[in-house]
Amino acid sequence: MATVEPTVSPATAPPGDSSKTVTTRAPAGPPRTPLNQIYALPAPIRTFPLPAFYPNNPISLFHLVYAWLRQVLSPPSKEPSVIHIGVWDPDTCSVHVPDPASIRALWEQGFFGKGSLSRSEPNWLKRELARRGSPEGKTVSEVRTESRREERRLAKWERARAELEAIERQRLAEAALQTPSPVTTEPRPETKSAPEEEAVSAKLPPLKLPKPVVKSFSMPKLKNPVPTGLPSPPLENGVSNGHVAHGKPPVGPAEILALPNSLAKINGTLNNMMLTELRPPTGPAELLALPNSAADLVTKSGLASTVNVSGEQVNGVSPIDGLSGHTGKASAFAHTVGDAQETHKPIFPEDLLPTPCCTPTKRSATGSSVQDKEEPSQPVAKRQKSVRFSPQVESTTFNRGDPPSPGLVSPAEPAAKSNSFAVPATALEIQDKEHFQLAPEEAFFLAFSLGALKVIDPKTREPISNERLLSLFRSYSYFPPSAGLRPDDPFLVHYAVYHHFRSLGWVPRHGIKFGVDWILYQRGPVFDHSEFGLMVMPAFSDARWEEYEHEKPKKSWSWLMGVNRVLSHVLKSLVLVYVDVPPPPVFDEAMKEGGIAAALKKYKIREVMVRRFSVNRNR
Amino acid sequence: MALDDDDNPALAAPPPTANTTTATPDAPAEETAEDLLEDEGAAAQDFRVFASLFKKNTHISAQTIRKGEKDFESHGTQLQADTLEQSRAAMQEVLSYTRIHSGANLVRGWYFPGWWADYEEGEEWQDSKAEDGKKERKPFGHIRDRVVILEGSSTSTQNLGRAVTGQAKDRPGRGKDWLLPEEALYLVERGSLDLWWPTKEFGEIFPPPPAAPVEGEAPQPENTDFDPSTQPTGASEDEEDEYVDGFPLSLQAAYALLIGLDGTRGKISLQKFQVYSNLKRCGYNVLRAPPNPPNPNQSSYRLNITIKNFFSSLLPSFTPSPPKSGPLLKPGLYRSYNQIFSQLSLIERHIPSPVLPFPLPSIAPYEIHFLVWKSSQKWTKLRHPSPDFYLSVVDAQESEVPQMEEILGLLEQTPWAPPKREWEGNHGRLYARLKNGWRNVLMAVVDHGVINYMRWGEGGFGQERIYERFDGRNGSYRGGKRGGRNQGRGGRGGRGGGRGRGEGEGEGGIDGRVKSTG
Repeated sequence: MATVEPTVSPATAPPGDSSKTVTTRAPAGPPRTPLNQIYALPAPIRTFPLPAFYPNNPISLFHLVYAWLRQVLSPPSKEPSVIHIGVWDPDTCSVHVPDPASIRALWEQGFFGKGSLSRSEPNWLKRELARRGSPEGKTVSEVRTESRREERRLAKWERARAELEAIERQRLAEAALQTPSPVTTEPRPETKSAPEEEAVSAKLPPLKLPKPVVKSFSMPKLKNPVPTGLPSPPLENGVSNGHVAHGKPPVGPAEILALPNSLAKINGTLNNMMLTELRPPTGPAELLALPNSAADLVTKSGLASTVNVSGEQVNGVSPIDGLSGHTGKASAFAHTVGDAQETHKPIFPEDLLPTPCCTPTKRSATGSSVQDKEEPSQPVAKRQKSVRFSPQVESTTFNRGDPPSPGLVSPAEPAAKSNSFAVPATALEIQDKEHFQLAPEEAFFLAFSLGALKVIDPKTREPISNERLLSLFRSYSYFPPSAGLRPDDPFLVHYAVYHHFRSLGWVPRHGIKFGVDWILYQRGPVFDHSEFGLMVMPAFSDARWEEYEHEKPKKSWSWLMGVNRVLSHVLKSLVLVYVDVPPPPVFDEAMKEGGIAAALKKYKIREVMVRRFSVNRNR
Repeated sequence: MALDDDDNPALAAPPPTANTTTATPDAPAEETAEDLLEDEGAAAQDFRVFASLFKKNTHISAQTIRKGEKDFESHGTQLQADTLEQSRAAMQEVLSYTRIHSGANLVRGWYFPGWWADYEEGEEWQDSKAEDGKKERKPFGHIRDRVVILEGSSTSTQNLGRAVTGQAKDRPGRGKDWLLPEEALYLVERGSLDLWWPTKEFGEIFPPPPAAPVEGEAPQPENTDFDPSTQPTGASEDEEDEYVDGFPLSLQAAYALLIGLDGTRGKISLQKFQVYSNLKRCGYNVLRAPPNPPNPNQSSYRLNITIKNFFSSLLPSFTPSPPKSGPLLKPGLYRSYNQIFSQLSLIERHIPSPVLPFPLPSIAPYEIHFLVWKSSQKWTKLRHPSPDFYLSVVDAQESEVPQMEEILGLLEQTPWAPPKREWEGNHGRLYARLKNGWRNVLMAVVDHGVINYMRWGEGGFGQERIYERFDGRNGSYRGGKRGGRNQGRGGRGGRGGGRGRGEGEGEGGIDGRVKSTG
């Protein structure tokens, strides 16, 4: 879904050169290296194809000979030329790769591993830089996803608004029809449908009935009912604030909520609410600040009259902040929380940034509330109970630096401002907190199949041999790690699947996010969406298995339906991968004779494609 | 406007992400979206058909009841109320339709559970070729399970029932249509069959024909004129006569008689009946599957296969075994990724084969229970093409997701159904090929009456070697699925720069790609 940008002329970097991997999306930035070059190698192995020879082009022969001679005289180092170093980490049951060059290489050459703080590609540092406004920061996929979601949220909001507007227009038109006053000469938007309606209702006698019912239902609690369908009273109040156009229908959720139904509860607060209702309340904080929740809270704490809803809503913090501070229950935490806030500051310097959605004028406007005067006595207690749902601070409506309640900010704000416009942090200042980890299957494939990885013991710093690595991974596939290794170890079964698909050229990656064991990419997450989700099903078809205890792989139908439903929702299709596990004697014998390579040959893999079948669409 | 993360993505416009997977417009992604859109669309669709049936009823048009977004709450406009009321009226119109059973459609059936109990099926299967002079084999009859005999014939007997011929030369009831329990119950439920319980012997109700009748004809004058609907108030002696032979059964009684445990002769399990009637109502033609569908051309290929196996068994001996502890890939200089990846192949890849020398046995309950055809004009109960679908019915509560032997045993009962020929070699159809599989079977999972149909396909990932595409020219591997297509252009294509990013709109391609491996 990511947009395609016109590729600037391909840089002359050799494929796989990790120094050229920087990608930018800024139009003015350096030319973006095409993805095809960054991810040129499907595995951390280089190939040296000879140029083709064309009989009709004799020069190509020279080319061929030259390339061949060059490779003979100064042969390139044997592949795999680079052996990456990984450190086994028993705590996370993964292999950490410390070297940045190795990290890039493993990611770009076959999409191995993942960043511990990232979705897949290790780009925490880039995100962090971008978040701090550094020019070095790059747009990374996580951010793009977030912005896409934001767009979608807004689009949905727009759609809902348009629908509501249409309804309101319809309602107005109907109201105009009902009151045959000479004033209503305005052209009705639904000129065609209205007579038709009348005709229909004339034909169908029962249709006459619901009319009064519906009407009385729609506006039951109006204090001063407006028969002509004019905006409801709170809106008219809002008009005075100048933000809501006169006569605009109450289409937003907040406005709908503000209709008489809920108005009864939170009478006084709504006018202020309207003041700030500029953006759709798509963010969690804004939703929390909507009257429904506010009303509940207000009634609970008995502060209905003094709460300044608008201030809290602007700052994007749930009303509970202000309330808890007021009741004084949180005063005991004042000290500790204050400390916590102090320590927060260096860690989250975005606290110092100005918040995008709040302007100083608004703050000053909210600062005049009753709360404000009481605030300085216990200013920091508010932090304790701030309720935030979105971990993506940069995305929507509030920042860490936002004051939890209006009164708190004013003293600290000037300092914050002066700091925030200092030089943005650079890559040197930020320590990369992310590490790169390889799943056991990936690490074993790299070490055992390609020989491109050396795993070292975290304690002794000695390289671990492949045999030991295998038994390590096998025992760690149980929890707690077990010494009783069997051919149906989860690691072996999963490795068989991983190896099967890797050796065919697919890019398997862990699929826990989609509720499956593995997902299959044809080229890699950078290029395409994965099309298949794999569920690994061990099978024990050999009769000799009856003598050995093994886990009966029973899965309920609801399990399968659930998996399939989730997968088809993300437009992937489900593949059940049955792994026929050899019985222990066969496995042990093969292990003795030919090692794990021979033992793996005893595994059999059958894929079964599963999908729902719609009777109605296939006849 | 629909968004791609709406509750039902199938209702949304196909998201652009899906399009990246294929170049051609009829993408496999479309199929998955189709799958998603299941029963939601169906109800509305049926209604439209319904509504158009009632076209003569003036003010309700097909547009009245249409697919659309659900209105969850009333928003107080007259328009909404009117639309709702119109829909209600249309619904009532449909429901208030007076169903009339015309004489031609209503037939009477008699329940004779034991009549064919000792019938031997095998001969019927092999024997009855003489149907219309053509040498055709009759579908398997399931004669022993046929428990309801029809008086006369109705339109439904074109698709249901079976005239028992062959073996039972001299038995009464031969040549008449006999119904399987699911067929009878389905007709009773629809109101087209009047099921009766006989109080007299079979021979008294169906006296043996005086002379040798023409097969399949067997007129029964005294029965054909019997029809409750055409005899509104018949003479009193007729009515007396009516209950001498037996008495009519209620729907409940029909259920009690015809629904039973799986495997009981003359009964059908509730799950299977539910699936059967669901499919029939959806317009499919359904027949009970024979116990063991034979594989006609199996033997002829067997020799061929064994020879091939013999030669292929020689091949692996030449390839040296890799070192014990790896790496599988020998260090060295490689000209192509083909060389590299072929060394990595360890685990045996399944090669789908049209002929199975030793097909796995099917394991209950994962067996083929019904053969299903899409509705078509040409289908008759005796003469029809090979089935469109092979269906197995399992109970969600009693069974689990099948084990490997179970699903493979089931799949191997079905015929070879490879991906379409035109998909071959077309990399854009890679996913379509994989998803199609090489054999397929439907499974109806019935959970307390809720039926879930699933399609299971024999996967052949081993047939698709992705790595063969890694060896592009200049050692750089080609742009995404689209990008690769351009490889067909003449000369030595330049660098891969700018060719298809994989994401986004690529050049819709002709499949001019020439494999340049090795």
